[in-house]
Amino acid sequence: MDDKSLIETAIRQAKKTINIGLMVMVFCLFWFVQNQFYPDLFQGNDNISQLDSLQNDFVEPPMFELDSASIENGIHIPTGLIVDDGVQDVMTTCGACHSLDLVTQNRATEEGWKEIIVWMQETQGLWDLGDREEIIITYLGKNYAPENTGRRKNLENVEWYNL
Amino acid sequence: MATLAAIVGSKVVFAENFPDELEPIGLETNQQDDGIPGKSNQLKILNSKPWNAETPPHLLDDEVTPSHLMFVRNNGIPPTEVDVQNWTLTIDGESVNKPITFGIKELMNDFDHHSYNLTLECGGNGRSEFNPPAKGNQWGLGAVACTKWTGVRLKDILNKVGIKDNAVYIGYYGADTHLTGDPDKVVISRGVPIKKALEDETLIAWAMNDKAIPAMNGYPLRLVIGGWPASVSGKWLTRISVRDKEHDGPKMGGHSYRVPKFPVPPGTKVPDDQMKIIESMPVKSIITYPKTGAVIPKGGTFEVRGNAWAGDLKVTKMEISIDFGVNWTKCELKDPINRLAWQRWSTKVKLPEFGYYEVWARATDEKGVAQPMVLPGWNPKGYLNNASHRIAVRQA
Ligand code: HEC
Repeated sequence: MDDKSLIETAIRQAKKTINIGLMVMVFCLFWFVQNQFYPDLFQGNDNISQLDSLQNDFVEPPMFELDSASIENGIHIPTGLIVDDGVQDVMTTCGACHSLDLVTQNRATEEGWKEIIVWMQETQGLWDLGDREEIIITYLGKNYAPENTGRRKNLENVEWYNL
Repeated sequence: MATLAAIVGSKVVFAENFPDELEPIGLETNQQDDGIPGKSNQLKILNSKPWNAETPPHLLDDEVTPSHLMFVRNNGIPPTEVDVQNWTLTIDGESVNKPITFGIKELMNDFDHHSYNLTLECGGNGRSEFNPPAKGNQWGLGAVACTKWTGVRLKDILNKVGIKDNAVYIGYYGADTHLTGDPDKVVISRGVPIKKALEDETLIAWAMNDKAIPAMNGYPLRLVIGGWPASVSGKWLTRISVRDKEHDGPKMGGHSYRVPKFPVPPGTKVPDDQMKIIESMPVKSIITYPKTGAVIPKGGTFEVRGNAWAGDLKVTKMEISIDFGVNWTKCELKDPINRLAWQRWSTKVKLPEFGYYEVWARATDEKGVAQPMVLPGWNPKGYLNNASHRIAVRQA
């Protein structure tokens, strides 16, 4: 890379940063105005939503809140899942039939997780995950990977008490 | 009685036939929120939907496990509204002369009642120790219990129905619903060869520990078969098919409740046709007293005790070691209350000096087969881990 292209890259970076900064400021301003002056701007009209539900039986799958209040040390407390790319897909897809305890208890390689998914598709009514599959498998293989525990572990977490 | 009447919406006519009251443990509707219906909150919950929970070993310190301490292994959602009066059991399949349906009252009135203490252990008990890990609920030591079951013998029922000479297997069906909510999807339907089905101890039970069966353990009717993986003991029982071939219901095939036909190195991919169905559970024991972590005063002697069982067989020897398996001391071992019930054992221990020790327990069955000290044969789904139970103790 020569000097010229280095300078060009630097300018491009700077422009990008300014643009992002501007976007954040505009958003904050909007948020402030809406909250202060039009607090019910996004509230649905009750009558309309009632009509809606009469005509439409479709039930949204439960969407888990991912607000920072429910995250401690990188763990999403309500579900126990590790917060990382793809966690919301795992929450909605893998929490639809059973609790996510079944996910957090298990450890497997990407290949192993793929096998578990295929088993559920063949025998337990799990649907085709489409383009979400890759995201989900990457998340699981990275965050719930097997460790080599040997043939037998030491006795761990012993709580001592006087007999 | 009021509670049950409220649940089924009418009076229960034959309640006097129950050994005690008919109130099922854990069907109280308002109990759902805090923990597993009818179960102690000291159970360790592995999965909250469907409920799966195990008993810490020190709470299994009884010859007869109290109902609220028996483990729960649900594959689907148990029936929420149980109408005992109209509950029926149908016996059908290729190998019956004619299908017959019985009400619970008929079962109670038409056949002799029998009670047996039966050890039920989940095939995957001990799965958490597998390396590479095996998928499923990561059971520690406590997916096992020995409770008293009361009902009628399956063989008496099959005698009355009449089965053909070509009968080879039975398969059960229950009233639980699949996790997808699909009412037509069978959750689990397993069974045993006809020979095991016709044993005296194979019961169609309506009572556990002289009360109605806890909701999570199969209320109001359960097929109970001691000594084999507990998944052959069908809960919320509605139907038994007498088959002219190996039963082929969900979780009979593939890798479910099956192990390789021959030993394999850990992590091997085993094709389905190289797997065989688990039959009797292996010899095993647990230390139920003291709880791990006991600090013993200097020079003190303490009791060590627990339970031992060996699937279809009897345990004939029980030993412990306090020096990592170098020396073994024989323990007192009681006979089982009846065949297929676990056996109490105990001994006294004095630690030689200050320091850290582990108590290891080892049972041997009537064929001379003993428990291994480490995980036995690795298998893809993590079944049959009967490695010796260890607890940590210290002398102050
Ligand atoms: C359509 C329903 C459904 C969905 C959606 C679903 N599962 Fe499952 N899954 C099941 C059923 C049924 C079982 C068996 C439960 C049991 O036996 O206790 C199961 C079992 C499992 C097991 C244990 C496997 C075993 O052999 O026992 C794991 C791990 C698992 N699921 C992970 C996931 C993951 C990861 C996802 C998201 C990709 C997911 N599940 C989504 C139905 C589903």
